[in-house]
Amino acid sequence: MPHSVCLLAPVSRAARSFICLAIVAAAFAACGAQPATPADFVIQNATVMTASHGTIEHGTVWVHAGKIAGVGAQVNAPASATAIDGSGLWLTPGIIDPHSHSALDSDVNEATSPVTPAMHMIDAFDNRDKALYQALAGGVTTELLLHGSANMIGGQAVVIKNKFGLDRDAMLFPNAPGSIKFASGENPKRVYGSRDQLPSTRMGNFAVMRQAFEDAKAYMAEWDAYNAKAAKGDKTATAPKKDLKLEALADVLRGKLYVQIHCYRADEFLTEEAIAHEYGYKIRAFHHALEMYKVAGKIAPEDTAIATFADWWGYKDEAWDAIPWNAVMSLRKGVRVALKSDSNDHIRRLNQEAGKMVHYGGASEDEAIRMVTLNPAWIIGVDDRVGSIDVGKDADLVLWNQDPLSTYARAQKVFIDGDLFFDASLPGFGTPHFSGAMHGEDGFGGEDEEDGQ
Amino acid sequence: MRQVFSFALLLAAGPAVLMAAGPKTIAITGGKLLTVSHGTIENGVLVIADGKIAAVGEAGTVQVPAGAEIVDARGLTVYPGLIDPESNFGLTEISADEANNDLSERSDEIMPHMHVGDAFHGETELIPVARLNGITNAVVAPATDDSIAGQDIFIQLYGADREQMILGRDVALAMNYGADQRRRGGRGGHSEYPSTRMGLITQLRQTFLDVQDYMAKQSAPKKDDAKKDDTKKDEKDKPQKRDLKLEALIPYLKGERPVVIGVYEGYDVENIMALANEFHLKVILNHVTHSQDVLDKIAAWKVPVIVGPIYDFPKANERYDAVYTLPAELAKRGVKIAISSADAGGPVSSHSARNLPYAAGFAVAYGLPYDEALKAITLNVAEMFGFGDKLGSLDAGKMANVVLANGDPLDVRTEVKQVYVQGVAVPMVSRQTILRDEYSK
Repeated sequence: MPHSVCLLAPVSRAARSFICLAIVAAAFAACGAQPATPADFVIQNATVMTASHGTIEHGTVWVHAGKIAGVGAQVNAPASATAIDGSGLWLTPGIIDPHSHSALDSDVNEATSPVTPAMHMIDAFDNRDKALYQALAGGVTTELLLHGSANMIGGQAVVIKNKFGLDRDAMLFPNAPGSIKFASGENPKRVYGSRDQLPSTRMGNFAVMRQAFEDAKAYMAEWDAYNAKAAKGDKTATAPKKDLKLEALADVLRGKLYVQIHCYRADEFLTEEAIAHEYGYKIRAFHHALEMYKVAGKIAPEDTAIATFADWWGYKDEAWDAIPWNAVMSLRKGVRVALKSDSNDHIRRLNQEAGKMVHYGGASEDEAIRMVTLNPAWIIGVDDRVGSIDVGKDADLVLWNQDPLSTYARAQKVFIDGDLFFDASLPGFGTPHFSGAMHGEDGFGGEDEEDGQ
Repeated sequence: MRQVFSFALLLAAGPAVLMAAGPKTIAITGGKLLTVSHGTIENGVLVIADGKIAAVGEAGTVQVPAGAEIVDARGLTVYPGLIDPESNFGLTEISADEANNDLSERSDEIMPHMHVGDAFHGETELIPVARLNGITNAVVAPATDDSIAGQDIFIQLYGADREQMILGRDVALAMNYGADQRRRGGRGGHSEYPSTRMGLITQLRQTFLDVQDYMAKQSAPKKDDAKKDDTKKDEKDKPQKRDLKLEALIPYLKGERPVVIGVYEGYDVENIMALANEFHLKVILNHVTHSQDVLDKIAAWKVPVIVGPIYDFPKANERYDAVYTLPAELAKRGVKIAISSADAGGPVSSHSARNLPYAAGFAVAYGLPYDEALKAITLNVAEMFGFGDKLGSLDAGKMANVVLANGDPLDVRTEVKQVYVQGVAVPMVSRQTILRDEYSK
C-alpha cells in the first residue's frame, strides 16, 4: 500500500490469534501513530446486534487489545477487564460508509480529462474536517473516500478509520485494498459535453473507457516484451517509460484494484458488466444503482454489490425511476446491498437510512443493519476485519441509547480498535482524542456528488 | 360540503387513472388515536361524514352511524394528516431540468407580485410520493434567491385539479435575508446594488416606504371631493396607475397576513426583525439554525418559528448536536414551532418531503417532547397559516385528513397504510409503487 505508514503484513483470517494480535498491536505502538493499546473491557447486558449472527439480548462483548475477544450471552473475560454497563442500550458494529466525499475540501474531481486514474484521494484528505467529527457522532467508524463522478475513470480512493483527533496517517485503514472510482451516465457527459469535448453522450462515455483500456493493454504488452527480453539477458532491451495513468489502468486489468462504479441506469449496469468481461476485470460495486431493481437478477451472478441511497430520487433524469424499495428488491434477487451517504448530511444518520428498509420492503433488522456494516465492509474489501461483532475483528463498536434502526437512536459511545473516540456524555465535542479547532468546509451537502450542479 | 370528489379523479400517477368515490360515512374503529389537540385515545373511534370529522372519542362513547363503512384500525395508529410548512411541490419535477423549474424569479430581489398559485402544477409526481407517507397538506413557497420572493399557497395533496388542491392563495409572503441574497455582489469584481446586507436592508426599507406612500395616495380623498368649486384639472386627479408590485405588499404591511422570513444566522435574525418590527409585520421566522445566541430574543418577540432543516450543519466549532437540539430549545422557551422537511446543505427539495415525520422524530431524539413534535408538523403549521380551525388535529368539524399507520408515525420503520383527504380514501399509489409492482412481477 503506497500510503500506509506502518508496514504491517495483512492479518489473514487464518493467522488470527491472540499471539498474532499482540504482535500487531505492538507494531502499531512502535509506529507511534496509534494511541497506546487500550486495556481490556467488557460491555455487558446490551442488546448486541452482531450483523453476522443475529441479535443477542443481554449480550456481552469482550474487547482485548483493540480486537473483539468474545461475544455472547456469557463471555470468559478476565476479572480485571473494565466493565461498561450496557443495560437498556444497543451495541452494533461501527457504521461503515462505502461512499463518502467528506474531508476532501471538494477536491474530488480532476475534471481536466475524463480519464485520471493516477489521482489519489489521499492527497486531498483533511483529517481535521468537521464532517468527520459529525459522522463519528453518528457512529461512523470506517469510510471509503471516493472521487466524484465528473470523470469516467476518476482515480483511487482512500479508506479511513474515523479516529478523529489523530494525525492523518493514523486515520488510514491499515492495509485496506485499493479501490478505483469509475463513473458513467449524465455527469461525465455533462462536464465534458458542456465544453464540446469527448464524451458528451453515453456512446462517448463508453468509447473513452474502452480506449483507455486499449491503451493500458498496449502499455502492458510493451512491458511484457521488455521483461521477456530482460529475462533472457538481452542487453539491448530498454525499459519503457513508467506512466502513472497507464500503470493504474494496468492495475485494474491485473485485478489489483476494486472497481467502484457510479452508475444509475439499468442498461448501463449491463454495459459496464459487458465491458468488464471484455477486458477481464471484476466490478466490486455499482454506486447509486437506483435502477438495480430492474435487472438485479442479471447482476447477482456477477457478484457485484450495490451501494445505494435509501430514498433519494428525482434530482436528475437518471434518478427519475428511483424507488425506495430498490435496496430490498435487489437484496431479494441475490445482490449484496449497502446503503451509503454520498453526503455530509446523511452520513450522520445512516442507521436511520437502514431503518427505512424495514418500512420499504420489509427488511429484517439483521438485513437492515448489515446494509450499513458488513455489506459496505465487503464493498471496501475489509469485511474480514470490520463490519460485524465477531471474535478476532477490530473492536469498532457503537453503543446506542435506543434501537439504532429507529428515528430516536443517538450514539452514546463510539469505539475504534477498542479505543473510545466519541462519548456523548462528555462535555464539549465529546471527543477524547480531539480538542482544538476543526476545519469548517462543508464539502458536499447532498444530492449526489455532481460537482458544479 | 360540496361534493368535491364526486367525479372521476385523474391521479398524478400517470397510467393509473383511478376512480375515487365521493365522501362516504366512515367509522375508523379500534385504533390508537393521536388527536394532537386533546391527547391520545388508546381504543378510539373516529367518524367521518361529508368529508369532515363528525365525531372522535373512546370506543363506546361515540355513536357509529348506521350504514357507515367500518374500517378496522386495531393495531394501527390514527393521526391527522401531516402538514409540510415549506415545500416546492408543483414548482419542480426533476431538479436538474431547468425547463420544468418555476422556483424563483431572479430579475429583482423584490418580487412580491409573484404568485406561486400561477405556477403550481398539481399533477406533479412528487405529490403522491409524499402523500403515501402521510403528508396531506403543505405550504408551497418560491425558492430563496430573493429578499421578497413571492406569495405562498396552502395546498392539499389530493384533488381532481389545481383548484381543488389549492386551499388558499397568497396565504403568506416569502421573504429571505442573509448572505445568500447578496447575489449581485462580486467580491473584488463587478457588483450591482444591492451587493451587501446594508444594501438588502435599505432596499427592503425603501420598498416598504414606497408601499406606505402608495397606500396613502390610494386612500387620499379625491380633489373634487375636497374642493368642489375647483374646476382646474389637476394631474393628481387622474386615477392612480396600479403598481402590482407595491399593491401585493399592502396586506402584509397592514399585518393581515403572515410574512415568512428565511434567515439563518443570529445577527441576521436581529437585523431583519428590527426592520420587521419597524413596519409591524406579522412574522413567522424560518430556519434560524445558526441562531443559538438569540433564542431568548426570539421567544421575547413571540413569533412562531419554522425550525430547520434540523439536519443543517452546525458551525465548525459547535457540538455535533447544536442544530438537532434547536426545536427542543425553542419549544422550551415557549416558542410555537413548526418543523420543515428540508435536507441540509441545499435548497428545499420536496422530493424528500416524505421524510417530514422523521425530522420531527429526530427532534424528539434530541429533547423535544413527543407531543410537541407531532404538533410541529400538524396543528402548529395549520395555525401559523390560517387553517387552525380546519386542519391539524382530530377534532369534530375539521376536514377529515386522516392517516392510518402500522406504528409510531415519527419512526422510520413505520408504514402508512391508508391516507384520507377530506374523507376520501386516497389510492395508495404513486409512480414509484407502479414501478415497484411492475418489476416485482
